[in-house]
Amino acid sequence: MTDLTTTTENSNKPVKGRSLWADGIRRLRKRKFAVVCFFVVLVYFILAGLIYLNEAFNWNISLFDWRESVGPSYQKPWAEFEWTPEEQDLAEKGRTFFGTDFLGQSTFRKMLYGAKTSITVALCASIISLLIGVPLGAIAGYYRGWVDDIVVWLFTTLSTIPYILLVMAFAVVLRERTIFGVEIKGITAIYLAIGLTSWVGICRLIRGEIIKRKESEYVLAARAMGCSSLRIIFIHLLPNVFHIIIINFSLRFVSFIHAEVILSFLGLGETDKPSWGAMIDAARTELARNVWWEMAAATVAIFIISLVLNIFGDALRDCLDPKLRTD
Amino acid sequence: MMNETSKKLVKVKDLKTHFPICAGVLNKTVGYVKAVDGVSFSIEAGKTLGLVGESGCGKTTVGRTMVRLIPPTEGTFTFNDEAVFSASSNRMKAIRRDIQMMFQDPYGSLNPRMTVENIIGEALGVHHISSGKERRNRVMDLLDKVGLSAAHLNRYPHEFSGGQRQRIGIARALALDPMFIICDEPVSALDVSIQSQIINLLQDLQEQLNLTYLFVAHDLAVVEHISDFVAVMYLGRIVEYADRDTLYANPMHPYTRALLSAIPQPAPNKEKHRIVLGGEVPSPSNPPSGCPFHPRCPLAEERCKVETQHLIPKGAGGKQQAACWKT
Repeated sequence: MTDLTTTTENSNKPVKGRSLWADGIRRLRKRKFAVVCFFVVLVYFILAGLIYLNEAFNWNISLFDWRESVGPSYQKPWAEFEWTPEEQDLAEKGRTFFGTDFLGQSTFRKMLYGAKTSITVALCASIISLLIGVPLGAIAGYYRGWVDDIVVWLFTTLSTIPYILLVMAFAVVLRERTIFGVEIKGITAIYLAIGLTSWVGICRLIRGEIIKRKESEYVLAARAMGCSSLRIIFIHLLPNVFHIIIINFSLRFVSFIHAEVILSFLGLGETDKPSWGAMIDAARTELARNVWWEMAAATVAIFIISLVLNIFGDALRDCLDPKLRTD
Repeated sequence: MMNETSKKLVKVKDLKTHFPICAGVLNKTVGYVKAVDGVSFSIEAGKTLGLVGESGCGKTTVGRTMVRLIPPTEGTFTFNDEAVFSASSNRMKAIRRDIQMMFQDPYGSLNPRMTVENIIGEALGVHHISSGKERRNRVMDLLDKVGLSAAHLNRYPHEFSGGQRQRIGIARALALDPMFIICDEPVSALDVSIQSQIINLLQDLQEQLNLTYLFVAHDLAVVEHISDFVAVMYLGRIVEYADRDTLYANPMHPYTRALLSAIPQPAPNKEKHRIVLGGEVPSPSNPPSGCPFHPRCPLAEERCKVETQHLIPKGAGGKQQAACWKT
């Protein structure tokens, strides 16, 4: 390698450099399948967002109105039916696409609404766990000593308790409580429970990365320059582990969706609004009667988002981690 | 210890840096790695002291201890008539403006997430010297000084070659107009052709800005080129100190002689008198009794195993100092 300092670039106009982020995103865009997965994830998010807006501004989009009875109970998918005059003033023919549940509500609409529940829980839980895990890990890794001892003790203690038991315990304790004047109900209890229990992984990861990087020469250079500890942590160290946070976030998101499903299935989740877990819970009794569509709708929805998030998360890791650079 | 004709900018006295070795369940300190064990030297303003020795002899630790990246165990460092090790954190920040450091690894010493402008200009912000456009102008000045151009301003470290990165490292060290720069093996990671460019750049800058260097290296040829004085380290101690010409012409310590005989000569027909040292470098946690060099020394006798010789004047004029009983 020769030093091309003065030969190639004589112009004195600053050339825009390509940051590692831009570089990573450029590589990500080359992976067509990952891009497709990203758009599928985006569809879920947009759906959840639309349902939110629909509720907030009373747009009355019928597709999101899961309360409405669209047919008699337990209609098969694609089955044609006729309203009986008692049930509907105007007797008319109808068709349900994904079948109906016991109350005659559309399984399809419930499935769509479940996306909002799941994504709200996963997003809020992720943010809570990151807000706890990242600063704790960074501080423990940077300062070491007694601060580190306390943090390590905290997360090893937490991680000795089986995860599902811990989340359930938190969910039960937090349900229908008023803490600091805020009433915790429905999914709030779930995402608080998940968020407060699942920061251990990211905290451990960040702590390790910070320990690894704090002896690197650019950190030594910053210290020799007179930078404060906080500046070193937030300007020098965290941006260098941020891709790990993003990757972890995308892979963790799936497990949070699963946790919400499990809690709802166990009856600790949202009780008055549809969620995928609640749909599977309801399907327990329905399956015996050959009503498979509610189970199918929920599992397909979970399956697709799990699959695409995992593929996308893996691609993200391959592209954003400078050490795994291939091109 | 040296003649006091001109002003000594840097005075290090009896510097010791010991790292505790912890073992057992209770992490008790069972011993110390004596990385630096009583090093004294001083440097006149505008001069260069070359500090040489093989890997693990503690030369890097000397540099890092001087800027308090590693806490000193004992000893004093007086910079410009001010005690550095006992300075308060406020005073220390001011002192750091005058003492800068350059690092060995051009790939690890620059924060990969920061643009060149931010890397070089960071110190200006941290010390509240300039910001915004003023800072940008100063950074462009510095880039120009080290042979890069303003075109590189918005680029990221991974877009540069090793030599260019080292130039960025130099520009960063110069940003605060320091008086003294500790160069920690600044060229040992570079190709030979680039090494000379960087060395010449350092010499030019020394002339222009009246800089004082502590040049840590293991390459004797490089040290011969840049240094005014040379100190040879072995196992945490300085074993020989002299001005460059005397040391290279007439080495007094057997270790220096062995080192000098190992420099490759660009004359294939010349007869070589290579002194090959037997054995390994002893562990700094358990140094040999007496003279630390005696197990490998071709001249060692009984006395060397028992008594430690300090640096004493040797040769004509007494300007040369060596820690040896025999020569």
